Amino acid sequence: MSAVAAKPTAGSAVDMTAMIIGLIILLLVIAATYFVFGSGLAFMALIGIIIGGVLIGFGVHFVPVGGAPAAMGQAPGIATGVAMLAAGAGLAGLFGGAWAAQTTDNLYVIVITGAVGGGLMMAITCMFVTFIYVFGMGIPCASGKVLKDPITGDTQPEFKSQGTEGHGLPFVSYVGGVIGGLFGGAGGTLIYLMLLDLYKEELPGMMNALPGQVLPIAVTLAGMFAIGMFLVNAVLAAYNITGTIEGPHDPKFKRFPRAIVASAVASAVCGIVAIMIVAL
Amino acid sequence: MTVKVEKIEGGIPHTTIMVAGLIASVVCIYLTYINVLTGTQLFSFFGGLGTVAALVWGSHTIKHLCSYGIGTGVPSAGMIAFGSGVIAMLFATKYGIAAPVVAVVLAAVIGLILGYVANNVLNMRIPVMIQSLVEMAIIGALVLMGYAAMMTGSFEFTSLTTGNVVILGLSLPSYQASFLGGALIATAFMLGAIAIQHPFNACLGPNWTQDRMLMLAAECGFLSMITAAVMSMPLIQMSAALVSLFVAIIGWFYTYSKYIELSQRDAAAWLDSKPIPEVEGQ
Repeated sequence: MSAVAAKPTAGSAVDMTAMIIGLIILLLVIAATYFVFGSGLAFMALIGIIIGGVLIGFGVHFVPVGGAPAAMGQAPGIATGVAMLAAGAGLAGLFGGAWAAQTTDNLYVIVITGAVGGGLMMAITCMFVTFIYVFGMGIPCASGKVLKDPITGDTQPEFKSQGTEGHGLPFVSYVGGVIGGLFGGAGGTLIYLMLLDLYKEELPGMMNALPGQVLPIAVTLAGMFAIGMFLVNAVLAAYNITGTIEGPHDPKFKRFPRAIVASAVASAVCGIVAIMIVAL
Repeated sequence: MTVKVEKIEGGIPHTTIMVAGLIASVVCIYLTYINVLTGTQLFSFFGGLGTVAALVWGSHTIKHLCSYGIGTGVPSAGMIAFGSGVIAMLFATKYGIAAPVVAVVLAAVIGLILGYVANNVLNMRIPVMIQSLVEMAIIGALVLMGYAAMMTGSFEFTSLTTGNVVILGLSLPSYQASFLGGALIATAFMLGAIAIQHPFNACLGPNWTQDRMLMLAAECGFLSMITAAVMSMPLIQMSAALVSLFVAIIGWFYTYSKYIELSQRDAAAWLDSKPIPEVEGQ
């Protein structure tokens, strides 16, 4: 088969059998965790990891990912791939959340700080991307997927160049980017926090050391697992939208139920391994 | 002269590269165990050679997967490889001498589930998707374990988490001066993730040649190994770190000059790449 002819056929169709098998894997992992570790901290950590993973997978659908066509002004969105955007927003969120986790124990404060970190990163990215599009490349911001911006009501087609799918960053994509950053940052921070609590509790006994001594290990392990799961969920969500999306108004956005199942399964599988490292 | 797109199917078969990469990588990581047997740390550089073998294999797997046009960009493949690999690798380090084998098996399981999710739940329907994600997860785990073995001289959880700090001539145990406690694993993660995705990203196109891409993969691997050797200096004996650095520089210089040679060979040819057969996004 020639490489060029073999395009992915990922459409918007939902494969019900595969979805059900996915949900069965998810329930099996949750049940296994419950029976092996009981309803204690480990079980709560797994639930938190799954929720965090779903938030990340869902959040990616809001982010206007333009890819290479956007860099040439032929499609709307930020001119890079999901892996880069998600890593940027997710790590900014993780830094925010990890900083908050040092100062307080309140779950909501920490998760919201992480969300603000991710959202802020996306807001700044979107703003400077728009500066470069408008003042550097000289293109107006116009969506190719909708006739009117759903938020401002501005008409789009008269600003769209012929032969393109739109260009620049319409207002709704900007808002979508910030919402995606908020979800991604919150999800990443939730995973980090859940694992950190578990490791802080279990590592001293496992390594025969004082809690203060093992804190660097707990932070690194939780951080590395959070980054790993963040990237896995972000790339799976990227596969779901086949690379590019304009934002919440894009028809591809309606594919998100698949990504939620996929993220939940992937997070559960990765999560149980991350829990077993201390609890087994 | 015209070159068909099918030309990229030529060269060494993927299965050969996969088997060779897997065996070479696992054997090299196990060779660092000579450290424990002989009581030195001089054999740590084998961990770095293991990462080079795994990265060469990984760049070909990425080529195999991305030639189907997954639409998300080549770097995303490197990211998912290490995202799933780091989880398997950290868990496997608990199993002492069996760690590399446990890492391979566990990574294969994680990769299998991720591949099923991507291929069936997300409806990607790419023939090589599941196999590629299994390979990617194994590669991610082996590369990280190779760096761990190279920087600490061992691949066991205790030695990854415990280091020594010398204060006024006294050697004190410290959790902070270690591969995990000092978060050197985060740097290893990115060193590997960038080295694995760069070769195909740089060499793709109508004049892609297998030997050139694999040479670039080896070059990227040795370049990362130089950095890893420098980072190993606070963790292992200076003599062992210098041996690693020496091996890495020699390897890098050889692969770099070979890569430039191959680039010049390929650049001299004129290729009719033909117009794009179909419009993107339809």
